[in-house]
Order: sequence, then structure tokens, then C-alpha cells
Amino acid sequence: MPDIITVKNLVEIYSDGTKAVDDISFNVQEGEFFGFLGPNGAGKSTTIKILTTLLRKTSGTVNVAGFDIEKQAAAIRKIIGVQSQETTVDGDLTGRENIVLQGHFHQMDTNDVKKRTDELLHLVGLEEAADKRGRNYSGGMKKRLDLATALVHKPKILFLDEPTTGLDPQSRSTIWSYLEKLNKEEGITIFLTTQYLEEADKLCKRLSIIDVGKIVASGSPIELKREIGADSIRISLENCQKDNTKAKALIKSLTDVTEINDSEECLTVFAKNAGLLIADIVRALDSSNIRIASVTFASPSLDDVFMKHTGRRIRTEELVKARSTMWGGARR
Amino acid sequence: MTLLSDTRYIFIRYLTKLVRTPILLFFSLFQPILFLVLFTQLLTNLALVPGILPTINGVPIAYLEFAAAGIVMQNAFGSALQSGNSIVADIDSGFLQKMLVTPVSRSAILLGRLSSDAFRVVVQTAIILGLGYALGVAENKPFYVTTGVVGILLIFFTLAFFGLAWSGISLALGMKTRSSETVFAIGGVITFPLLFLSPALFPLSFLPSWVQTVSMFNPVSYCVIATRALMINGYQWSTILPAWGVIGLVAVITLSATLYQFRKVVS
Repeated sequence: MPDIITVKNLVEIYSDGTKAVDDISFNVQEGEFFGFLGPNGAGKSTTIKILTTLLRKTSGTVNVAGFDIEKQAAAIRKIIGVQSQETTVDGDLTGRENIVLQGHFHQMDTNDVKKRTDELLHLVGLEEAADKRGRNYSGGMKKRLDLATALVHKPKILFLDEPTTGLDPQSRSTIWSYLEKLNKEEGITIFLTTQYLEEADKLCKRLSIIDVGKIVASGSPIELKREIGADSIRISLENCQKDNTKAKALIKSLTDVTEINDSEECLTVFAKNAGLLIADIVRALDSSNIRIASVTFASPSLDDVFMKHTGRRIRTEELVKARSTMWGGARR
Repeated sequence: MTLLSDTRYIFIRYLTKLVRTPILLFFSLFQPILFLVLFTQLLTNLALVPGILPTINGVPIAYLEFAAAGIVMQNAFGSALQSGNSIVADIDSGFLQKMLVTPVSRSAILLGRLSSDAFRVVVQTAIILGLGYALGVAENKPFYVTTGVVGILLIFFTLAFFGLAWSGISLALGMKTRSSETVFAIGGVITFPLLFLSPALFPLSFLPSWVQTVSMFNPVSYCVIATRALMINGYQWSTILPAWGVIGLVAVITLSATLYQFRKVVS
């Protein structure tokens, strides 16, 4: 697939001297689901604003669908759909009116707009609320409506700036399923920014991790996590003190184990493809009459990838709060 | 043409928003109506003092009739000054950005806003004139716009034009400060001094001489006199044309400022 977005040595320096984007280069292929993962203030929104012709770059070259971002901005606006971080729904207009108006902004034919609006209301499941005013919509409904308005002219490229920030898990997974559908079935190229690890992991075929204006790593989620190397298996034994040494020796003798450490639980084993190793470990310990209390398996997360490159965790305060209410103990 | 159809859709959007937010209409109509109904009552007896109010066939006109021209002017102020808030709201909500990532004509964004302002001033002026007429009838002193239908249309034109010039101030302020409070505060501060330092509510001859002097430099004076001429005296082109000239001058200044700020916001 050819590249639909190419960015070379992009720099954005604000008038107050802040370097929001610091010499980044990347490309997005046609039909790809591409993402920028990074914490607040990393430069994600700034990059999207430049790519969507809202903000003038300081230097570098940006090409979208074969058009130069500065010389051919008007041509770019015709083929992109944009959902900004702030949900922008006109609360005084109904859902339907919001979509129709956006169609008119794209100079679409009135009949086409009507037909397309019905299609989109169906897609985002807002048919029943279509004639209610936007201000009465819930947060999730507004995001869905906002997404529909960005799709009215059947854009080739969809830019989504944190499309699920602040949503409840259910609304979030609904949006995820629309996005996957749009990308797979309609072949729309999607450029998404997010600070949610799960979102990047689940949706993006390829992503760049961005921090303080720089891209620190790029690749598919699997590739990125593979860099971290080993999975970990945490084992707690019923009698850790007694069996510790014996268990260590047994596990060490298994192939593929790269490292074994004492840990809070009792032992942590690092290994490539550790999933396959679990059965061997359990069997080995069991045949030596070492009783296991629990086994926890963890593969490296994108957070570990972020940690490796920046020395920090990606979680922002808001994210910690959201995660603990939404995913409970799933944090690791 | 894209510019025209884009302008039309943006015009319709703003009107729809206005109609669905009756509180805004209420607030901008409340003050003029208060003046029309109550303030004119307080000064009814002004007509009894000879030589203050203009006369028609030797009979002084009712104060209500005299003040109507000033009150429609006040109304034009009020609604024009809300214009800046609408642009602040669009910037804050991100709706302006949402328009800017589409191919919509940039000029249409501004023209749509301004034409909805002008339309609104015309509708509100019609409401106030209608109400004034009804009050006149109720008091047994009905008054008519001397210049008839064409005169009414010219009054609408003058006030819409005047409204645009003042929308320019609030739009420029709104885009510069990005704060509705500032627009309201500055709007409130300039409205009444400009009205009081003009013959909007009292005849020029009734005003102290220093106010008479100041009022000569007040653009509002020219518009009030022209509107009043169309309502009471007839086609006095010697007052109407200069008024349009003054409004045009103000409009060039304020709308240039608006355009300058708009360009900054857009790029």
C-alpha cells in the first residue's frame, strides 16, 4: 500500500517558544489504522492540527493524499474528516441538523446529504434521538454524533483526536467497533491519537509512541512489546520459604527461561512465550510435590514499552482514576 | 456559488440557534420594550411644554412617537453587542475549528454571522415599531411612519446597517479577548453614554449645550436624527445621507478590525 500521509522533520514552535513538536517523521499507509500514543501534552493534538490544516507548521514537510499541506490545503479539506478532542456538537441543533449542516459545509448536494445523514444516524445508532437537540445528548451520544458529522462526505482519511477520552467503557467499546468497521469495511485510513494503552493496542495496526514532542518508538503493538522481550509469570507457593530453592532449580532446568527472581508473591519467571511454559512449570512443581497457590501471567504492555523509552509510566492522573473504576484490578 | 450558499447555511444556523434560545431574544428586547412602555410614560407631559417636542401642523407630537427612533437605536445596540458572544461561543466549543477543517468558504463564516445580525435587528425593529404603534393607538394618539412603506424599509436598512457597524465592534472584541464577559462589559459601558449623549431620548434643543457639542461627534446622533426624520418629517435627504455616510465610516473601521481579528483566528 502506498503512503497516504508523509511527514518529514516536522517542527512546531509556538509563539511563546514552546516546542510542541520536535522534529518528527512518520508515514501512514493507505487504508491503515495508525495511532499516536502518548500522555497529555506530548504533541499529539498539535500534530493533528497541522495535518488537518488548522495550524501552520514551523518547519518540515507534510504531504496528505499527495497534496502539500500549505499549498493545497483546500484540496486536503475536501477529503479529510476530523473529530477534535473537544466534542463539537451544536447543542441548539438536532442530531440530524448537525450532520446535514456538516454536509452543507462540504458543499454536498441536498439529496445526497439527506441520504447520507440517514445512513450515518443508523451507523452510530442515533436514529431514535435524531430529532432531539444536541444539548440533551449524553456524553457518549455526543461523541457518536460528532463522529457521524466527520463522516458525512465519505472522507478518505479520518483524523480522530482522543475519540474516547472521558467516556464510560461501554460507549468506548461501541466507538471502537464503529472505527474498526469503518477501517475494515470502508477502507478509510484512520489516524488516531490516544492516551489509552488499551485503545492503541486494540485498534492500531501500527503506532508511534510520542513524548514531549518526539517519537520515541514506532511499530505494530506486537513488535513494540516484543522489544521488551520476556513475558513474566508470577508464582506464589503455599510454602514459599520451604520450597523456594527447590522450585527455582526445577524451573531453571526448563528450556526458554531467561531469568528467575524472588518477588513479592514468591517467584517471578521471565521467559519468551511464557504462556507455553506455564503448563511445564505447573507439571514440574506438581511432580515434586510443591503446592502452588497461584500463577499469574503477564505479557509486556505498551506501558512497559513507554517506560523503557522514557523512564516514566504513561498513566496520567485522570487515566489512573478512569482505569481503576473501569478496569478494576486489571492494572499491572 | 459556494460563497452564497455557504453564507446561507451559516445564516440559517445562527437564526435557528437564536429562535431556539428565546432567552437571548428576551434579553435584547427587554430593555427597549421597558423604555418604550415605561420610560415614555414618565415623560408624556413633555408634550405639554411648548417648544420642546417637534410639532406637526402646530400640535406637538407624543413623546412616545419622538422616543421611538431612539429606542429602535438602543435595540440595535443591544442585539449587535450579542454578536461577539456568539463567535466566542463558537471558538470555545471548537465549532469554528470544525468549520475550518471543511472546505466551507472562510468569508461565508463571517458573512453568515453578520447577515443574521442584520436580519435580527430588522425583526426586532419591526416588533418595537409595531408595539409602539399599538401603544399609540391605546393612548388615542396613533402615529404613523410619515414616509410610508418605503420609509419603513429605509428605517430597516438604516438600523441593519447601523447594527452591522456595531456588530463589528463586538465581533472584533470577542475574537481578540475570547471572553463573553469582556464583550458584555465593554458593550454595556459604551451603550448608554452614546445614547444619552445624543438626541435619542430628548430633543437636541432640550439638552445642555456641552451635550449638544459632544453629540455632534457622536455617530449615534446622526442615525437617530435620520431615523426620526423618516418617521416624522419625511424624506430629509440632508440628514439621511450624512447618517449613512457616518455609519459607513464606523462600519469600515469596525469591520476592518473584525476582519483583521478573524484572519488571525483563522490562520
